[in-house]
Amino acid sequence: MDPSEVEFLAEKEIVKIIPNFSLDKVYLIGGDLGPFNPGLPVDVPVWLALNLKQRQKCRIVPPAWMDVEKLEEMRDLERKEEAFTPVPSPYYMELTKLLLNYASDNIPKADEIRTLVKDIWDTRVAKLRLSADSFISQMEAHAKLDNLTLMEINTIRAFLLDSLNCMYKLRSNLQPGSSKGQFTDY
Amino acid sequence: MFVADIRKEFYEVVAHQRVALLVAADIDALCACKILQALFHCDQVQYTLVPVTGWQDLGTAFLEHKEQFRYFVLINCGANVDLLEMLQPDDDAIFFICDTHRPVDVVNVYNDNQIKLLIKQDDDLGVPSYDDIFRDEDDEEGDDSGNESDEGSEPSGKRRRFDEGAVERRIERQRAKREWEARRREILFDYEQYEYHGTSAAMMFFELAWVLTKDTKDMLWWAIIGLTDQWVHDKITHMKYVTDIATMQRHVSRHNHRNEDEENSLSIDCMRITFEYDLRLTLYQHWSLYESICNSCYTSCNFKLWTLNGQKKLQEFLADMGLPLKQVRQKFNSMDMTVKENLREVIEESSNKYGMKDIRIQTFGVHFGFKNRFLASDMVHATAALLESTEKDESDSDNFIKALDSLSRSNLDRLHSGIDLAKKKLMAIQQTVASCICTNLILSQGPFLYCYLMEGTPDVKLFSKPMALTLLCKYLLKAFVHSTRNKRCKLLPLIMAAPKDIEKGTVIVLGIPPESETSDKKK
Repeated sequence: MDPSEVEFLAEKEIVKIIPNFSLDKVYLIGGDLGPFNPGLPVDVPVWLALNLKQRQKCRIVPPAWMDVEKLEEMRDLERKEEAFTPVPSPYYMELTKLLLNYASDNIPKADEIRTLVKDIWDTRVAKLRLSADSFISQMEAHAKLDNLTLMEINTIRAFLLDSLNCMYKLRSNLQPGSSKGQFTDY
Repeated sequence: MFVADIRKEFYEVVAHQRVALLVAADIDALCACKILQALFHCDQVQYTLVPVTGWQDLGTAFLEHKEQFRYFVLINCGANVDLLEMLQPDDDAIFFICDTHRPVDVVNVYNDNQIKLLIKQDDDLGVPSYDDIFRDEDDEEGDDSGNESDEGSEPSGKRRRFDEGAVERRIERQRAKREWEARRREILFDYEQYEYHGTSAAMMFFELAWVLTKDTKDMLWWAIIGLTDQWVHDKITHMKYVTDIATMQRHVSRHNHRNEDEENSLSIDCMRITFEYDLRLTLYQHWSLYESICNSCYTSCNFKLWTLNGQKKLQEFLADMGLPLKQVRQKFNSMDMTVKENLREVIEESSNKYGMKDIRIQTFGVHFGFKNRFLASDMVHATAALLESTEKDESDSDNFIKALDSLSRSNLDRLHSGIDLAKKKLMAIQQTVASCICTNLILSQGPFLYCYLMEGTPDVKLFSKPMALTLLCKYLLKAFVHSTRNKRCKLLPLIMAAPKDIEKGTVIVLGIPPESETSDKKK
């Protein structure tokens, strides 16, 4: 899966905006949106929020978890625990990137938030790499990882699957005698 | 006719149509075009952008797009000629003209259906009143039907008149008509004899954006660049520049106030525009201070840097300020902080001693990211150099698009290449001026001064473009006035000719008004 596909899926998440135009309820395949009234907050998917923001038709309200203190707590918790801690949102990395790229003037202390989210991401990916490394080297049969997000899984998916395939090939070639012997016997 | 409410009569009309944008090739027009493009993107208006570089270009562009479009927006072209006469459009074509060239042709002002002028009516226009110029054609007929509207008509009363009375009245009418025509010619001559420039087109479109409450800092910055372009290329007077800067300053404080809180500081990547009372040295923050002083028109002419004496004076000036030569020749960004701290005040003090009273000028600077700081005049020079770059294999419209791109914040490498080109251009101007003065290439031809650049002059290719040649011309005239003792030179205009296209053998000729003229009415 491509990271841009993951980002595309992330754009379905709901975020709050404050429009400056008015429009009646809009009936889309994915659900209903609106009605839009100037000054009143409304919930819309991220793709629509970004489009409206670029056309200067709304102001984006940062999600509740995008706050410096909360993110600091999460980062410290992540660093302490060995397992993965619950994430603020299943698409926290993509949402941070999208919102901070297009709407950084609506988000207070944007630079610190960017740094904190990157810290959380780095810690989690490091744990993931460690876990994958031990999985492969100790040839474990199964592992259980909670609270992983799609983006993190995506970063390790290609490598993990390919390396497990290689390991399987190597392992199956280590026992040529028994399988061939069986064959000739039969 | 003048558009009174720019939102209703212009924007809401074109917002649902396909529009053709015909944009002239100067920086003010580019900035206005950028602002209008941003507004069109917000509302998803379909438009076609056509750069034009002269009257012929305008005619051909119009002919090409005549069938597909009904609405044409002309930026910085077309107000000072009779447009309908020149282009011969269909009856349903509507032109919106936002042009800084004055005087606006009277036909354009008084045409009610096809031509709409996006110009403020109090913008110092002095348009003659309708009755002074136009009159109905009913009184061409000789009979006394009483519905004549000229000034010399006497009240009609009786239907039956005596023959002598009729003849007398006819003679009276003809005399009045001749008087009226004579006065009309005089009024038109006065109106059209001087050419000057009005408020920047970019500022007009920024006001439109403001009325629509879609103004962003990017648009504000483009409007500031448009205004600075008018000042850098000497199109408006200093008074007008200061007034317009005050207007822009109000917008800047409104934006800054809206966005900065103590607790929630803005991201470093957001754009910050600040008012600066900065030095008049072109590109000094992207160059070394020494180079900038040598190549800026103001300082170079005051010191007379093409003479040995002048060089010595410059060294004295630098020593007077206490700036070590090594520091001054370094790139500005790498100068010592201790030297840079009070640089502006130190330079201002010293330059007052050397007779340069206005070394500082009011302008704006922008600051985004950690290392990007630009002054408005830097951007003007960079974009102008890109617009008129004479590299091979680059057509005019390529240059136009490149220059337009360099105005966005995301194309910084293009902007930096523009700054490099601008540095080369300024150095070429400096050297050409020095050589012209030293070899006495400026000849006095009676009522004007004349100079011709030979084909073999180094960098003469750069001067085949109008804006570069204008800068060279003004610089040369100022330098000449400073270098001779002849007081009469201050009153003479300068005409300059440079080869335009070597294969075709064409020459570009430019004339500028005398140095001492401070009013904005120029011939």
